Amino acid sequence: MTLAGKRKAVIGLTTLGGVIALWFLTTAVTGLVSGARFPSPAEFWTSLSQISGRGYAGATLLSHALHSLKLVAMGFAVAVLTGVPLGLWMGWSRRVEAFVNPVFLIIRPIPPLAWIPLAILWLGLGDAAKIMVIWFSAFVPSVINAFTGVRNIDRPVLEAARMLGTPRWRMVREVIAPAASPMIFTGLRLSLQASWTTLVAAELVGALVGVGFVLNMAQQDIYPGMILVGMLTVGVLGWATTVILAWIERRALAWNVAARD
Amino acid sequence: MGSISFRNVDKTFGAGAIKALEGINLEIADKEFVAIVGPSGCGKTTCLRMVAGFEAASSGDVLVNGKAVTAPGPDRAVVFQQFALFPWKTVRENIDLGLRNKNLPAAAREEAIAGALRLMSLESHADAFPHQLSGGMQQRVAIARAYVLDPVVLLMDEPFGALDAQTRVVMQEELVRLARRNPRTVLFITHAVEEAVYLADRVAIMTRRPGRIKEVLDIRTVRQSENWDSHPKIEDVMDLESFVHLRTHIWKSLREEKGFRDV
Ligand SMILES: Nc1ncnc2c1ncn2[C@@H]1O[C@H](COP(=O)(O)OP(=O)(O)O)[C@@H](O)[C@H]1O
Ligand SMILES: [Mg+2]
Repeated sequence: MTLAGKRKAVIGLTTLGGVIALWFLTTAVTGLVSGARFPSPAEFWTSLSQISGRGYAGATLLSHALHSLKLVAMGFAVAVLTGVPLGLWMGWSRRVEAFVNPVFLIIRPIPPLAWIPLAILWLGLGDAAKIMVIWFSAFVPSVINAFTGVRNIDRPVLEAARMLGTPRWRMVREVIAPAASPMIFTGLRLSLQASWTTLVAAELVGALVGVGFVLNMAQQDIYPGMILVGMLTVGVLGWATTVILAWIERRALAWNVAARD
Repeated sequence: MGSISFRNVDKTFGAGAIKALEGINLEIADKEFVAIVGPSGCGKTTCLRMVAGFEAASSGDVLVNGKAVTAPGPDRAVVFQQFALFPWKTVRENIDLGLRNKNLPAAAREEAIAGALRLMSLESHADAFPHQLSGGMQQRVAIARAYVLDPVVLLMDEPFGALDAQTRVVMQEELVRLARRNPRTVLFITHAVEEAVYLADRVAIMTRRPGRIKEVLDIRTVRQSENWDSHPKIEDVMDLESFVHLRTHIWKSLREEKGFRDV
């Protein structure tokens, strides 16, 4: 770790410690915030041990979390595997762009969460509906950024590849896709964020398992400790998947000067 | 065999709005090194891009080896001013792409790459990425990538324009050595007069826009009779009276073209 990095870590830990101390002070020590509104650290701990051991809302925290993680992974994967190729194709071909763009202009302003009722109507309260909604929400940033990535490729780089006699498929794999990859990864980051937002919303509305379902149940049970457990679980999961994606990005874009800061 | 012919070539951009080239006639023989100089914006790059197949003539013919150019291809290798390397490929992979596109067997490719790396003194950088190299090194890679294709013509668009003065001189000397040892047809664009005289067999001078060929100067006869190539250093050649004479002639000719910016 660099010196600046160390400093940043120290400052970060100090802030975190401060927030936790403030939490103790306002809830447990002074009782400024009542337990009915926000849990004290002890209540939070009780809720956490309850859901980790006996379980809550029909399952342990681990099964809820793994289930949510699985849905995000699947929805995100489907969105990326369909969105990135479509974006690349639209970027490469003006004709494809002309065909697809009108559809996009209509669908894009619809907030992804507005798809939830339709998805539940079609596919019920199970996994399929949630994967579909995640797909819709994560699809758009993947497409748009892959598209922009292709359109922003330096003309001489494309001309160099043509001059070298690069055949079409190799052009896509070895020139277009890597040249657009910094933008593609920007899209993936946005898609991942959108996936978590959409998943939690979908599970809040209708689910039988998952972190959003835990939140929903805890709200109905008026159980602030468990609400906090649910919120922090989503936070930790979202953070962990972002870190994994950033790690993949760093490895994939090792050639890219702009990404090495 | 790699002759280049421009026959009554006009080029207009954007529905007649910009007339870039007018009545260009130029014949470049096989293995001849021709430099084009001219004021900036006069259409030098456009000439080169038409030979490369990136741009079509509005009227007239651009021929390579007597055949009309229709599309880009590895028989006409281009060295771009901004290098245009693939930053996600290592030096070796950059050079290899054109060879793979030709479907050469691995052993032949290995040999060709090793040769190109040696030619450009890049052996120790084979596995580096472009961003790890200096500008001069990157341009060496671009030249190696072009040479390894064994093209019939080599098209270079101000290839040393982005380099600092010292690196530029080294690259000019190396290009001369390369061109004399391994001659091929070269169309070399520059706005640096000395560079043109030092490198080329003939120098074509263009007018300002719409670009026409104003004059074509024979350098080779003087170079051979005055034995320029016996001087390994560019500054020694640039001191020779015969060199100064040609350079001054081109300067005066360009000076007449309003809008010529000093380099
Ligand atoms: N794709 C293009 N579209 C419109 N105008 C162009 C295009 N390419 C070049 N031009 C114009 O044609 C003229 C010649 O350009 P160029 O060949 O690049 O000149 P040079 O290389 O001599 O500086 C310039 O005025 C330039 O603005
Ligand atoms: Mg130019």
